[in-house]
Amino acid sequence: MLASITSACLLGIDGHAVRVEVHITSGLPGFTIVGLPDAACREARDRVRAAVTNSGFDFPNRKITVNLAPSSLRKAGSGLDLAMAVGVMVASEQVPGAGIDGMAFFGELGLDGSLRPVRGMVSLVDASPVDIVVVPAAAYAEATVYGRHEVRGARRLVAVVEAPRGDEPWPDPPEPAEPAPPVGPVVVRDLADVRGQAAARSALEVAAAGGHHLLMVGPPGAGKTMLASRLPGLLPPLGIDEAVAVARIRSAVGEPLGVGELTTTPPFRAPHHTASPVALTGGGSGLLRPGEVSRASHGVLFLDEMGEFAPAVLDALRQPLEDGVIRITRAQAAATFPAQFLLVGAMNPCPCGEAGPDGCTCSDGERSRYRRRLSGPLVDRFDLRVDVQRPTPDELLRGEPGESTAEVAARVREARQRAAARGVACNARIPRRRLDELCPVTPETELVLEGALAGGRLSARGLDRVRRVSRTLADLQGHDGPAGVEHVRMALILRAQPLVAA
Amino acid sequence: MSGSGGRSAVGPLGAAALPDEAYLVGVASIPGVGPATIRAELAERSPEEAWTRLRARPGSPVDLAALWTRHLEAGVLVVGRGHAAYPAALRDDLEPPEVLFCRGDLGALDRRRVGVVGTRRGSRYGLDVATQLGERLGAAGVAVVSGLALGVDGAVHRGLFRSGGGPPVGVVGSGLDVVYPGGHRDLWRRVGEEGLLLSEMPLGVRPTRWSFPARNRIIAGLSEVVVVVESAQKGGSLYTADEALARDRPLFAVPGPITSKAAKGTNRLIADGAMPLCAVDDVLLALGLSSPTGSSAPIPEPGGPPGRVLDACAHESVTLQTLVDRSGLTLPEVAGAIDELCRTGWLAESAGRYERTTPR
Repeated sequence: MLASITSACLLGIDGHAVRVEVHITSGLPGFTIVGLPDAACREARDRVRAAVTNSGFDFPNRKITVNLAPSSLRKAGSGLDLAMAVGVMVASEQVPGAGIDGMAFFGELGLDGSLRPVRGMVSLVDASPVDIVVVPAAAYAEATVYGRHEVRGARRLVAVVEAPRGDEPWPDPPEPAEPAPPVGPVVVRDLADVRGQAAARSALEVAAAGGHHLLMVGPPGAGKTMLASRLPGLLPPLGIDEAVAVARIRSAVGEPLGVGELTTTPPFRAPHHTASPVALTGGGSGLLRPGEVSRASHGVLFLDEMGEFAPAVLDALRQPLEDGVIRITRAQAAATFPAQFLLVGAMNPCPCGEAGPDGCTCSDGERSRYRRRLSGPLVDRFDLRVDVQRPTPDELLRGEPGESTAEVAARVREARQRAAARGVACNARIPRRRLDELCPVTPETELVLEGALAGGRLSARGLDRVRRVSRTLADLQGHDGPAGVEHVRMALILRAQPLVAA
Repeated sequence: MSGSGGRSAVGPLGAAALPDEAYLVGVASIPGVGPATIRAELAERSPEEAWTRLRARPGSPVDLAALWTRHLEAGVLVVGRGHAAYPAALRDDLEPPEVLFCRGDLGALDRRRVGVVGTRRGSRYGLDVATQLGERLGAAGVAVVSGLALGVDGAVHRGLFRSGGGPPVGVVGSGLDVVYPGGHRDLWRRVGEEGLLLSEMPLGVRPTRWSFPARNRIIAGLSEVVVVVESAQKGGSLYTADEALARDRPLFAVPGPITSKAAKGTNRLIADGAMPLCAVDDVLLALGLSSPTGSSAPIPEPGGPPGRVLDACAHESVTLQTLVDRSGLTLPEVAGAIDELCRTGWLAESAGRYERTTPR
């Protein structure tokens, strides 16, 4: 007998539909899986046998061949267990084929027949060409993200086959363990907690409003990490497409999604400086796991202690910063992951941490070596730079709390809407050819820019950046016309400059 | 181009026909043989005899003739104490160098000479003053003697080049072909072309820790007046100051903010008796020269918000946040003030910090 069950397998963050064909004939008893299964997939044989037997069904003592089509696609992971078990039972006529028509099956089987979730359920379900999907109960939330399918969750193999046999109705969708988390940005870290730091707050606001990459330079203890952690609260909540994309990536990485609404808080990733290039960009042998740059997509990637990152790691960021995606090529497979993030870097001005002729105790060689670590394409990418200093005791104890996240986020949201109305995702991504149209230079601002260029305050490359940042500053003030002199002047003092004095 | 101090070179450059200077080069090229050893040797015997005595030491040059030729071909003038072109200023010095390696025009030393030295890590203020000194002295045709190091030394010669006057005199602590620091390659070249480049060391010798104090005494010896622009509590320029005092040269020190580490040394020099340099032209007065035309009347500082930002900057290197905090202005107001000040030359920025400058 031949059974054909619909399922899917995960490659990178995308699901690929897989047809599990099970063929039972006479011959020497055996269980063969073909179709490029990886080790975990091959082990399904023992799991399926035990699960079927422990669920009260017979495991046929005949020659069983399982083909995972398409045969040229590598099948990784244990998500095909359920489909194989169902296929065996249909092929051995223990379950009627008609009963499972139009359904897809996903999940790993335990030896006792229990159903376990696997990574990437969001993408797997998305790849299913059928209307009804059967998933482990624990993955119910993930399976409903796209909302296109009718989702049936089950905890055990028994439950999966009883309904098609007509013995039992499908179990109800699982109740959420606790009340669903609130929708929208979860503001745990408020900007009002930061005392003083007017320049840094302004820079954060501009970064959030225009998507401009921000570099914070300052000694240890200045509050750079604190400021960076406030940034996700300032960013507008994710739209539905972005939220789904983030859910896909989180699912592919194996992060459990809560039951209830999709989270709309932009992700915030802060990899430690000992992270490897692969941890940052993604990859790995065979699995193609998304890296930090993809997990930070539509959110913030915060590199604390940027001076401590290995140069190879920082170099790996160049392509995603340029293209907004990361392309990973391995011998067996290639994938393109999203990597559209807001980059925030924090670093000391020099190895000893202090700066300026009064405080710095570094030798000239140490300083120039430190500067060279981050020179070139990466530092060039930062539109904004702010020098952060340690707050004085007076500020800490008696300082007034500044504007709250809510106040600033409202302005940011409006500024973003203005940018969207122009047809750009955010001002930082205004292409060169549209600069003159969207960021025009008036005679007044031309004077200011000329003065800055002539005085060596601004380089030719910096000029484009200043124009984009001025546009964001104008948007933040609710100003629709060309950026004015005051906006250009602000952009000039907030822009990125060489790291340490030569 | 060969020196004709002792026996003149006639015939092919065989071992017996080399001039005194060649033997001096040989002796100076021996590792471990410094100015003191050379002086002790030459007090008792001729250069050729000294060479014969010391050449057995490890590391000494194998082929003296080739070494000598190398110097000649590099355009280096080797001058011993007995040489006609030996600088007059050093002839009666406390510790005159026994051999000098020169590139450029020794006639530069016929001018009035002022030594200007200072810390390698100067503040913007210090570099500013050094540059102005260089400009002023250069315009007055005074030769400026310095060490071509980072910071103040480099700045004073750059100011001198800007004035179009000169000439520059650089005394270095390594062979004339070993540029230290590497970034000053161009500066060395220009000093050698437009003025005079001097060293006590033969070609190929790298700088050591003692070579800098040694060259500092030559700077003091060559100068009529020495100015220390900025120095931390410990620094090579303080050694130069000591050497200047030992030679009875008038010593100036530029006062700096008492909160600045870079000015602790210079301020202490003033407390210990050096003359404070209160105006750049004071050096010219000390030389007996009147101020050149176009005297430096101080330009009035701006008022209003730019004035407040300038006050907030004081004479330190500060961040944007500091300017906001101290001036009490809003961020956009500070942005406007900074733009104005940078344009008119009152403020300079680099690597996220702002410093006062003097507009010209």
